[in-house]
Amino acid sequence: MTLRPFEERYAAALADDDVRTGLTAFQRGWRGSRDAAIEALEQQEGRSFDELRAELAAIKDGVLADWSHYLDEFEEKAVAAGAEVTRVATPGEANDHITRVVQAAGADLVVKGKSMVSEEIGLNAHLEANGIVPVETDLGEWILQLAHETPSHLVMPAIHKRKERIATLFEQVLGREFDPDDIPTMVRSARTELRERFLASGVGLSGANALIAEGGSIMLVENEGNNRMSVALPPIHVVTAGIEKLVPTYADAMKQVRLLGRSATAQPITVYTNFVTGPRPGQQQHIVLLDNGRTSMAEDPDVASALRCIRCGACANVCPPYGVVGGHAFGHVYTGAIGLVNTAFHHGMEAAAGPQSLCVSCGACAQACPVDIPLPVQILEVRRKVVESEVAMPAGRVTAFALGAFANRRLFGFGMRVAGVASTPFRRDGVTAVPRLLADRGPVRTATGWRTPPAVPARPARDTLKPGKLDEPPRLASQPLAGRTVSLFLQCLSDRLAPQIPIAAAKLLRAAGARVIVPSEQHCCGLPAYDSGEHDTARAMVQQTMAVLADADDVVTPASSCLAMLGHDAPHLLRGDVDEVERAQQLAGRTYDLIGYLTKGPGRLPAGSLDDGDRTPVTVHRFCQASNTLGRQDAVERFLRDVAGVPVVPLPEASECCGFGGSTSVRNPEVAEHILDRKLGCVDRTEASIVITDNPGCILHLRGGVHASGRQVQVLHLAEYLVGRLDGAAVGTDRGSR
Amino acid sequence: MTSTETGASHPPTRARFRAGVEAASSTYLEQPDWASVVDHVAEGTETVAVAPSLATDEPGLVAALERLGCGIVVPDQDDPAASVADVAVAIVQGELAVAETGSVLVSEHRLGDRVVTMLCKRLIQVVPADRLVDRLEDAAAWLAVRGGQPGFASLMTGPSRTADIERSLTIGVQGPDEVEVIVLTGTIDEPTEGTA
Repeated sequence: MTLRPFEERYAAALADDDVRTGLTAFQRGWRGSRDAAIEALEQQEGRSFDELRAELAAIKDGVLADWSHYLDEFEEKAVAAGAEVTRVATPGEANDHITRVVQAAGADLVVKGKSMVSEEIGLNAHLEANGIVPVETDLGEWILQLAHETPSHLVMPAIHKRKERIATLFEQVLGREFDPDDIPTMVRSARTELRERFLASGVGLSGANALIAEGGSIMLVENEGNNRMSVALPPIHVVTAGIEKLVPTYADAMKQVRLLGRSATAQPITVYTNFVTGPRPGQQQHIVLLDNGRTSMAEDPDVASALRCIRCGACANVCPPYGVVGGHAFGHVYTGAIGLVNTAFHHGMEAAAGPQSLCVSCGACAQACPVDIPLPVQILEVRRKVVESEVAMPAGRVTAFALGAFANRRLFGFGMRVAGVASTPFRRDGVTAVPRLLADRGPVRTATGWRTPPAVPARPARDTLKPGKLDEPPRLASQPLAGRTVSLFLQCLSDRLAPQIPIAAAKLLRAAGARVIVPSEQHCCGLPAYDSGEHDTARAMVQQTMAVLADADDVVTPASSCLAMLGHDAPHLLRGDVDEVERAQQLAGRTYDLIGYLTKGPGRLPAGSLDDGDRTPVTVHRFCQASNTLGRQDAVERFLRDVAGVPVVPLPEASECCGFGGSTSVRNPEVAEHILDRKLGCVDRTEASIVITDNPGCILHLRGGVHASGRQVQVLHLAEYLVGRLDGAAVGTDRGSR
Repeated sequence: MTSTETGASHPPTRARFRAGVEAASSTYLEQPDWASVVDHVAEGTETVAVAPSLATDEPGLVAALERLGCGIVVPDQDDPAASVADVAVAIVQGELAVAETGSVLVSEHRLGDRVVTMLCKRLIQVVPADRLVDRLEDAAAWLAVRGGQPGFASLMTGPSRTADIERSLTIGVQGPDEVEVIVLTGTIDEPTEGTA
């Protein structure tokens, strides 16, 4: 199957407002019902989602560990039950085999139940080229077949289409009027149209949700009943399944059932869970087991666990960029986060390259995955493979060049100082005033019209924080950090673009009694390079950071993203070297972000100690990686309530990414813009005039969006907000002491 | 076997099953015996399709329905699908009722059995109370005993549905629009003949 190039699919998705509005509504609705379904399951089972998914993941991993045994067992049982089993390596072999079976039966019409693997191999096109008419019988798939489109979601294939368009499509195809608000009538028409095809077809095609080794059974889950008819009515049943679909036993399959329905459509179980063992009397059954890159995946430790996937689609349902552009752009045949991993193996690096830059690395997919696939890490591994394979990623060479310059601390520092001087005339209240002559021009508008760029300050934070330069802040009554030395890791972005953030963090730590030092050789933790698939550069930068901080006791950074990098990604990045991993883990063990240091680390402040009496309500945007990767929930909110005494209005979708997403907001600004829009819409709903968060990337992004949209909202780093309360909360100033 | 064929149904399990059935948009009923089921089915029904395996297992059922004026189709001839094409009501017997999900496990290896659950608009599923089990694993145990033998069994949970258009739930797609689950509260061996 030939899909249009990524750039075309991306542009088409952006041009279609229906995609975005429909998917945002879908994602919000799904999230609520899925969370309720999982919570009910946890109660029913008396076990957590994490425990349940670990159990299913272990079952799937166990199959991979003894794959040929389970394949043989399945084949032996299925053959004994009357099936013919054929193993094929490539889509071409699969298509040829299935076509031969259909032709041998003399059939020219085949009915199909929904099957992603048939999309993977491009079966319909192959059948049509051989004069065979395939009819999709799942409602969503049938709609797409009529519209000459492909699925945009693993479970809800036509979720990108609004009912108005479907009604128009039905009018064109069926030649009568349809009311878009009368969905039951559209559904009934589909039933009538498809019923006669079921009865007339010579072959029924299905996929498989699981291949049960102990019984040679196919498990097929569905809601509509079309799969049952495709399997039962024609005289020949052909199953096509990826070889990763194996589970050892029926009991294992039930564990999959328990998580699949809830993760896919928030149902405890689908309407039909069918167990097909061999053909019915008077029927033939052919089972085609497809490899197509699966063995290569299993042999690659970076991605092997992606073979656990049970195709529930949850990773797309929580994915912010998916909500903007949908599956036709976010993925290839397989959509959503899993598509960014397995496409490289099923369809090649070129197919995988385009959508790579859409992932914002927010980590939401890993939280929702019912088989605990570490999708964000795997996506970055595939991104590295794409970069290494030299398949052109959009703007890839420019990025590589920019990262090369950025990696050089002195060169980058010099460049930013020049930029600081050069941009002086355009600096206004912390943002860059884009000259009006340029602001409305196409590329400039795309890059800056929705998010005013931050100003490059005259001096980086490291200058202000040189010994003796910073005024001594007022001292808090409680001095939990008295006698401690804190090494402040500034974060490259705040140091050069938002120096007031690390400066505020330094003041706050000193107010709590710490001696604060700023190691002068520090630069960047390597996250931007890691995020861009440039792992060698990333490794060099993280190692440089480890060297600079080697002798520090407590390391505190105002950027939670650096903590995620040092604590979570660095050991992965350095996994080839045991000693380096240990050094990274040691550093991570004494590194905190500000909120962690003030709540769980040595800097714990007593309740009320930053209460200055101001009761202006605030709301909190939770940095997505802090929630999804560092496992933090409402720590910032609780701290603000307890320690600062301020009312916090809950932010809807608080942990959803703001759209900054590292390289995404540079490479795919349209996606970043729409995600930001969704976030600021949520902020509006709180009616709070102050948004607090603790990651500088989010802050620059949110501030730019607030400024460009003319909103009257202040976006503050936690440190900035708290320092603003020092005067009212502190007991006195003790200038001159450190 | 686990509790599947021997266990008594405890009221709490039955209540859970009922809740699951109703959550899946099916109707839940209890009847003391097949005679009451026959009365219930015959009421207002012109023709009923009886799954061939049920007609065999409950030999008096067809005659009892006919006595109450029902036309009967048992689709066990050449073209089972055509024979039920115009029949709106169908009746099958479930092997198990799973309390955890409100599902009825129906075994239907032959095409004649399958067409009644696929093609008729109103499907009546009858399950003896002593076939009520707690968990999906109990259904797995039932399947495992029959693993490797040709067969087709489905956990059915509610009428067919779709949400493929704008995630809007619509009941009744290719399968039935309406499902009634009847739990037989009498003993399973109660003779059918002579009770109607």
